[in-house]
Amino acid sequence: MARKPQDQAYARPVRRLLVMVLILVLIALVLVWRIDNPRIERMRAAIIDRVVPNMEWAMAPVTGLARMVDGFQSYARLYEQNEELRRELQQMRSWREAALQLEQENARLLDLNRVRLDPELTFVTGIVMADAGSPFRRSVLINVGARDGILDGWATMDGLGVVGRISGVGEGTSRVLLLTDNNSRIPVTIQPSGQQALLMGDNSPAPALDFIEAPEDIAAGDRIVTSGDDGIFPPGLLVGQVVETNDRMLRARLAADIARLRFLRVMRSHPGTTLGDPGMLIGPPWPPPEGFVLPPGAAPTFRPGQRPVTPLGLSREGTLE
Amino acid sequence: MRNSTQHIWSYRALFLALCASVICIKMMPLSLDNTGVPGPDLLLALTLAWLLRQPAVVPLGAILVVFLLADFLFQRPPGLWTLLVIIASEALRRRPLTMTEFPFLLEWSAFSGAVFVMIVVERMLLWVLFVDPPPLGLSLAHAIVTAAIYPLVVGISKFLFGLRKIGPAEVEA
Repeated sequence: MARKPQDQAYARPVRRLLVMVLILVLIALVLVWRIDNPRIERMRAAIIDRVVPNMEWAMAPVTGLARMVDGFQSYARLYEQNEELRRELQQMRSWREAALQLEQENARLLDLNRVRLDPELTFVTGIVMADAGSPFRRSVLINVGARDGILDGWATMDGLGVVGRISGVGEGTSRVLLLTDNNSRIPVTIQPSGQQALLMGDNSPAPALDFIEAPEDIAAGDRIVTSGDDGIFPPGLLVGQVVETNDRMLRARLAADIARLRFLRVMRSHPGTTLGDPGMLIGPPWPPPEGFVLPPGAAPTFRPGQRPVTPLGLSREGTLE
Repeated sequence: MRNSTQHIWSYRALFLALCASVICIKMMPLSLDNTGVPGPDLLLALTLAWLLRQPAVVPLGAILVVFLLADFLFQRPPGLWTLLVIIASEALRRRPLTMTEFPFLLEWSAFSGAVFVMIVVERMLLWVLFVDPPPLGLSLAHAIVTAAIYPLVVGISKFLFGLRKIGPAEVEA
């Protein structure tokens, strides 16, 4: 404000130059983000790791207060809730009977099959610290990270069902991409028909089911579990139930209570068998064992990288005939 | 003169504090279930409202820091929204003189126009970069809500924080 006019005469072009440089730098940042995404996302995780735990002291009281207000509001509906709980209890009693019988049956069957349950399926529990803050992203931050051994891609559940997957790990925080996010896709199996489908998040509370082979075999209320086809999620984790919307679309009502996330379990999954060399899987072992005879009219083909020598077994062909 | 400098610096600090609290509130894990209309972009409304009133209070550096941090924290493409905000703010900053004579309705429409143009340009840039943009309906609802919240932000800045419109005489000073 106290500047002299000459100062301003210089200040204006300098400022314009500064703005131009800034704009170019920002464009470069966006381009670098697009080209070398993992590096920038690691940077983002580091920034979140640095900033969010500092916000905690300010956020925790307000969050707690808001939850208390929520709790008081539910006091007002105490009578209705009580009635509702009674009704549910009645239903649950019958379910409990069914569950007990099923449990016994299941134990018997597991015993018959000599199934060994995977002892490596352990989990780490974290507390939700913050959410994405943007109306277009459905994700939460939890307070466990690389120092707890969390890896990208691991499945995350609340007590009941799958919530999402880890996407972005910092030293002490990690981000969980919820199933409802626009970018979330996981392969699922629909029981009891056993059909494979993809669960596609679309920012609505009930993600859509797509790529189903025979939608007519699926009824509302069918159970949805993870199929494990992506090689990242363990198979068989409960996701939710099928619901049918008015426009005849199949959607999933999630078993997890996405609106009220507090404690999350990150399932440690272990990489399955990777097939590095497809050649080991397809066709008989090579060179053929002794006494192997090619069918008449079939010429031996050599795989790339294999010496075209006549194997021992083939040279015997004549002697065998 | 000294008084006025102090005044500006205290408003700058207030601006940064307000932005920090808006970011904090948005990050709180309370709004997990709001799936209807997306909330307004309070940061943008606050920045542009203060910029149109007293440009000196919202320096370029503050905009850069606040929006870049928001980009990183809110899982947006880093730098893209910051870029658009800086371009819009520079465009609006250049005409405080004309704006001071404008009635409020015109100022409001300038803000709304800026928001809509920014969202359209953002979608175009995302499309060029082969990034899936958010659903169009949600983006538009977001823009409309942001434009609708603007008078409220202006009212709060005016009556709660005493941020008055800069007079034509002061622009030249």
